[in-house]
Amino acid sequence: MRRKGSEWPIVLGLIPVFVLILGPFAWLIISSLKTEAEIGRADPFALPGDLMWRNYLDAWQIGGFGGLIANSFINLAGVVALTLITCAPAGYALAKIRFPGREWLFYAMIFGLTIPVQAIVIPLYQVLFSLGLVNTLLGITLAQVSNGIPFGIFLMRSFFMGVPDELTEAARMDGASHFEILRTIMLPLSTPALQALVIICALSTWNDFFLPLVVLISPSVQTLPLGLVRFASTYASEYRLVFSGTVITFLPIILLYLLTQRRFTEGLTQGALKG
Amino acid sequence: MLKSRLAASAMALMAGAAGLFGTTAAHAQNLVMWGPEQITEPLIAELWNGIKADFEAENSGVTVEFTPPTGTISNGAVQAAIQSNAGPDVILTNSGVARVSTVVDAELVMPLTEAYTERGWDEQIYPWLYEELQGQRGGEIYEVPDGLDALGIWYHKDMFEEHGWEIPDTWSGFVDLMAEIKAEGIMPIAIGPRTAGSAGHLFGNMLQAASGQEAVGKALAGELAWTDPSMVTGAVRLRELVDQGYIDKSMAALDLDGAARLWFNKRAAMFVAGPWFTANARNADYDLDNAGFAAMPSDTGEAMPTGGVGWSWLIPANSKHPELAMKWIDFVLSDEVMKRRAEDPASTMLYPREIEGLEPPTAILGEIFEVAAGGVGYNPSVYLPASVVDTYFQVIQGIISAQLTGEEAMAEIEAKMAEAE
Amino acid sequence: MSLAGTTTKDADGTAARIARPPRQPRSSSPDRIGSALPLMLPALAVYAVFTLAPIAMTFWLSFTDSGGFNTTANFVGVDNYVRATQDPIIWQSLVRTLLWVIYHLVLAGGLGLVLAIAISRLRTTQVFFRTAFFLPHLVSLAVVGVIWANIYDPFYGLLNTALERIGLGNWTQGWLSDPLLVLFSVNVASSWQGFGLYMLLFIAGLQNIDPSLYEAAEIDGANEWHKLRDITLPGLSEVMTFVVSLALINGLKGFATVFVMTGGGPFYQSELITTYIYRLAFSAQDHGLAAVLCILLSLFAISITIVFNRWRARQSA
Repeated sequence: MRRKGSEWPIVLGLIPVFVLILGPFAWLIISSLKTEAEIGRADPFALPGDLMWRNYLDAWQIGGFGGLIANSFINLAGVVALTLITCAPAGYALAKIRFPGREWLFYAMIFGLTIPVQAIVIPLYQVLFSLGLVNTLLGITLAQVSNGIPFGIFLMRSFFMGVPDELTEAARMDGASHFEILRTIMLPLSTPALQALVIICALSTWNDFFLPLVVLISPSVQTLPLGLVRFASTYASEYRLVFSGTVITFLPIILLYLLTQRRFTEGLTQGALKG
Repeated sequence: MLKSRLAASAMALMAGAAGLFGTTAAHAQNLVMWGPEQITEPLIAELWNGIKADFEAENSGVTVEFTPPTGTISNGAVQAAIQSNAGPDVILTNSGVARVSTVVDAELVMPLTEAYTERGWDEQIYPWLYEELQGQRGGEIYEVPDGLDALGIWYHKDMFEEHGWEIPDTWSGFVDLMAEIKAEGIMPIAIGPRTAGSAGHLFGNMLQAASGQEAVGKALAGELAWTDPSMVTGAVRLRELVDQGYIDKSMAALDLDGAARLWFNKRAAMFVAGPWFTANARNADYDLDNAGFAAMPSDTGEAMPTGGVGWSWLIPANSKHPELAMKWIDFVLSDEVMKRRAEDPASTMLYPREIEGLEPPTAILGEIFEVAAGGVGYNPSVYLPASVVDTYFQVIQGIISAQLTGEEAMAEIEAKMAEAE
Repeated sequence: MSLAGTTTKDADGTAARIARPPRQPRSSSPDRIGSALPLMLPALAVYAVFTLAPIAMTFWLSFTDSGGFNTTANFVGVDNYVRATQDPIIWQSLVRTLLWVIYHLVLAGGLGLVLAIAISRLRTTQVFFRTAFFLPHLVSLAVVGVIWANIYDPFYGLLNTALERIGLGNWTQGWLSDPLLVLFSVNVASSWQGFGLYMLLFIAGLQNIDPSLYEAAEIDGANEWHKLRDITLPGLSEVMTFVVSLALINGLKGFATVFVMTGGGPFYQSELITTYIYRLAFSAQDHGLAAVLCILLSLFAISITIVFNRWRARQSA
């Protein structure tokens, strides 16, 4: 945008970086199409003799990846929906309603931003247990929502604070309730923030490992990362399955990203930087 | 996909409703079983689905549901499963007094002492085994042994034949053998200490080979210090193997499968494992007829494998069908089922009692049965107090990565033992 | 814009101004808490049950001898705190965690910054590189652990076998078994996954820098280094603050790659506070000691955040 001259020197410099960073993907995908014997030869630059698509079929069936992917999506949808439902109103209240104790409440809410979930995991497990939510997708979803609330509120509040007071106060004069203002004025205005919140939430839920590891016991309720780790340690002696199973876990999200790349990038960066 | 998921959840719902309204009716019982390991493997699934079908035929209205284990007691998976309350009614898992104590202390499993005498289980396992179990938790017994382990050296018959190698009778002969193997450009021994149990297999073998079964037994019982000169030799020797390059230092980061791969591909000559290794070998397409088994050469008395109770049945304290769970254990202990399992190609262990006229399904299992016929020593991993086991595994990694000397390693274990008392 | 349109708008505006009652001054009549409560309630309820209560319970647990989820816990005073001071692994894991955070900041943050600066100079290939370099971030850290454990395998892994093939056989290492190397190796895997996000944020920050600044500098004859030092980096300062805090927090939460790749070994050399909490709580069932470590982790996180924000405030003051 601002440079004169050719960009090719930079591109040339980036090519080795490109190879190093994406090399693991290439190696993994090539290995996933080899036979067990070919993998055992430990030659990273050798191509598979025949493309063993069977590896994918076997991994898919043995690992139950269909169910894992479904669970991951259910989990993700739940977290995204509940995060929006909890954080948007709360962010609005903390930004636009001047009630006593507002500052205090805000700090209490974002205090959690600094507390890693690992630091509260033992009682968190006990809470889930006493509510009968251990080994359920609902339990993991609620815990993840709570974990994401500090950031969500922080983000929504910052965004709403940027909306001129005149807009809300005019509506108040017309007798609109806070809920109506939120619904008819604020939310339509805040698409960038909501988009950012959705993407950030979705990404962290999709990738979460720690909470599922602790809470989700049965394979039938497990999410992809946990399922893959279990699969990889159970079938560790069949590397063709480990490799193809690994590719299965990241392929859907990478395809989704490539399709929505521009919007995704915008949402992620704009939202995060506003927050 | 979606359709089948819907159908599955509808069925689950119906099953749940049946459970709610029909618990008293004998015709709607669902026995949820944790295990067996690798139930998703065709060979193992075939065996267990057969057993399940027979049990269901014998007990009308009962269904058995297998839950593929997500781990063991060592990594907390069994505890989590029981605590989830959605958990299993009966559990088959890696056992040993240390692991079982962990769940007993957390009040997660039922005592089965009375069932032993009432249901005749005491007669269905080796007498020495029953005695041992009685001695472990002050008379109360919480587990029913399903299988025993026998850990020794696996080697490639063709490789040993080609070079004229043999597993010798003495430790010094064994060290010479490793030197010869290394000179051929082959790794003498592979080990994967990142898998907790696997670290202990080789180490336990070496402790017994150096100090004898009796000394190891005393050390496990806290009657002999691990730092005693008569105990440290095995650990010191392990460090020597590392220093001489007979065990590659970088193996410290391998897990069982990473190390086993070296052996299956014949980059390593020997591997310490038990009968369960047949399953790994089969998955890796290793020719089982080429596998040989021998006890680790010992300087103190007869060489013998180490081992102990490897797998046991447990009944969770919150089992919804404890009576049915016991019936299932009765069934598993019956001659019919035990022989069927022992002769199945998926068989991977020693059984808890003598089985008349048993035909081992593979030659290597026959060899292991033979080597173990003279008895099995202690595998410390399954006998150490729960609070010590973790340290025990970590110090083995410490020796193999050349961070700890044998003496230092034993001092770490001894310190934990002292704390545990 | 048409004349009619302008007129209408003016008329409307005037009309509105007349019709509107005088505006209330901002400071008067704060809303009652009753009107905010219903909007706060969903968030408050979830947060109180699943975050605030567990924080409080962690404190209580640290003073008990709880030995498992089903057992009764007795009050034991500061016993666990005394035990914590005597456990060398706790102190070691603290140091490892600090190192881990620094590695992550330098590796992931540094790579993100360098690549962002390089990529933002591109025109036709910018989207391509930006998209490609972000791909690792889409892989779950646990899955990254599975992948990199295989890359680092001393005998079959991509790294050692590739080094051997290109004639650098003596560069091969026990990446995950060497006590001095293991934490770094695992961190490389984590940072491989982490840098993409930081890169995107830096790119967004660079786009907000006024291009005329560079043009002016070029007229003054500034070279690339001067432009980087005097325009680019200062222009990124806000994003930098954000990225550094994010990297610090992400670093502290590090768990999955270590858990999957080394389990904290060999001999605790890659044990972080988080993995040690898991070991104590779920494998050793020593909840009292684990709770002390939880509190330590929280304090660590809070103090890093405070120190960083103080430092930042002083920098910009």
